[in-house]
Amino acid sequence: MNPELWLLLLWGGLVGLDLVSVPQMMIARPLVAGTVAGVITGDPGSGMVVGVILELFALDILPVGGVRYPDYGPAAVAAAYTVAGAPGLLAVGVAVVLGLLVAYAGEWSLLALRRWNSWDVHRHAAQLDAGDATVMRRVHIRGIGRDAARAVLLTGFGLALADVVRRWSFISVRGAVLLAAVMIGVALATATVGTLRLTEGRRGITWFSVGLGLGVVWVVAR
Amino acid sequence: MSVLLVRVDDRLIHGQVVIGWGRAVNCERIVLIDDGIAHNDWEQELYRMGVPENMTVEFVSVSEAASAYPAWTVNGQRTIVLLADVDTLVRFCSVAPVTKVNLGGIHGGEDRTERLSYVFLSQRELEQLRDLSARGIEITAQDVPTARAIALEDLAR
Amino acid sequence: MRRAFVSTALRLFTVQGSWNHDRMLGLGLGYATEPLLRELPGGVSGDRYRAAMRRAGGYFNAHPYLTGLAAGAIARAEHDGIAGEQVERLRTVLLGPLGSVGDRLIWAGTLPAASGIGLVLSATAPIGVGAVTFFVLHNLAHLVVRFWGLRAGWRLGTAVARALASPALVTALKIVGPAAALLVGAALPITGAWLVSDLEVGARVAAAAMFVVAFLVTRWIAPTLRGTRLGLLVAAAVLIGEWM
Repeated sequence: MNPELWLLLLWGGLVGLDLVSVPQMMIARPLVAGTVAGVITGDPGSGMVVGVILELFALDILPVGGVRYPDYGPAAVAAAYTVAGAPGLLAVGVAVVLGLLVAYAGEWSLLALRRWNSWDVHRHAAQLDAGDATVMRRVHIRGIGRDAARAVLLTGFGLALADVVRRWSFISVRGAVLLAAVMIGVALATATVGTLRLTEGRRGITWFSVGLGLGVVWVVAR
Repeated sequence: MSVLLVRVDDRLIHGQVVIGWGRAVNCERIVLIDDGIAHNDWEQELYRMGVPENMTVEFVSVSEAASAYPAWTVNGQRTIVLLADVDTLVRFCSVAPVTKVNLGGIHGGEDRTERLSYVFLSQRELEQLRDLSARGIEITAQDVPTARAIALEDLAR
Repeated sequence: MRRAFVSTALRLFTVQGSWNHDRMLGLGLGYATEPLLRELPGGVSGDRYRAAMRRAGGYFNAHPYLTGLAAGAIARAEHDGIAGEQVERLRTVLLGPLGSVGDRLIWAGTLPAASGIGLVLSATAPIGVGAVTFFVLHNLAHLVVRFWGLRAGWRLGTAVARALASPALVTALKIVGPAAALLVGAALPITGAWLVSDLEVGARVAAAAMFVVAFLVTRWIAPTLRGTRLGLLVAAAVLIGEWM
């Protein structure tokens, strides 16, 4: 394996760990995860484009009170690897779809991790409730270890998938462009609906509309 | 009908309620039914801090809730009713004509087992809920509005 | 004491490390609070430390950035010799409001606001400026909230409601929601126009049509479908069409 893939695996592990466990500085956001992955692959522009599209998808998430949500960090890393070196928007659609798949797998891996942590807590419930600081530290740190392993495995899965996709031309140029176009459409709609969902009442909708208006004016003026 | 949601959630006022449900049902008022909190100013002060400025909050005991319930359903304020546990729910349902109940979060306890990732119930609590259901109250589990609602029968495997 | 405080602050960065559906981040809170409890009279072999530790690892949930407020307040209450049941009650009562305030302030406030700015800059500024600006802005809010929370909790103990009522926080809560709506609102057309700028007209029409359909579906027709799954379904449809 070349050093670039090792670096991507490491970066994917870090952003996957960042989402829930440590340190939650939101390098897990696709905008950051994808752009940095693009720097690693030597194609930061493409990495940023897939990062932006997946960031729009991620604006759908409101991680309140331990609900389930997809894991977009390793997804953005795998998508950035898929798209690296491809001309124009040709591979963007395929890369985003692959990203969504990895993000969805990530959601399931998070559920499995939480179950595993539950099992560990149950097994040591007596010592924990007796206030045993050593057991508490160990159970807690094992949880972090598991999440790190989960993040690396998920990234590895994504990169392996991306490697296959990169070698296999299964889609026509027309199809690839169409795929990119519809993914951009779904991403923008997802971000819109997600933002409306967390916007408060009439006042929030007003501010959202003002923002939309300003954005449109900016686009037209350019 | 202005009581939009009757929810059992041991966290009472938190993000899923004020952001998730509050914005989905456009809630104007939270009624928190709990005998302990209704008589404790210090606890009320803390819970009040969790309420956004566009909502009001009332703290009532189960018996106060019984007499106030008819007024809540007619005076038009869009209301979410919160209770911390199944026992309080049973008492509330026996004094107020509740038709639908949302299980939003009941967590670890010694004799509770996991029915859903956010619903842990003891055998006794399950029986209590089944009794309510048999009386015609629709009981579903759903943590946030964007999740699927899961019927009580599907919780008890 | 200072060392214990720093140790707790650092451990709080891992507070969700053992997140599980039973106790949520309760174990993490216990792990993070432990250095402050070690300073109780009698030290680690004292009765007060042992009693406090028995209460430290139970069920708890809140916004991770604001959990320091709980860690500080609980540790202070233990140091003040508050009765055990009262400390447990403090823990129970805190977990809802801290979640509510943190979720509104961060997840529905500063995070999407910073994301909106990051998106606009990604579309308009040189590569990397958007990602770096997002990271810096988000973490400014993140770190301020974290350290303010731990210090305020430790200072106030059972009077911790005063921290949540502080004018700065109340004002911030009023501003962040509208700011997030405004910034993401502005980011959507700017980012959208930039993303489709390399597409030919036909593909732009396809993107616009998809936007409308996806909006209607996820907003009204099937809100539980969510963007991720809808995206995968649409992609499957395109690929099947391609291969037929």
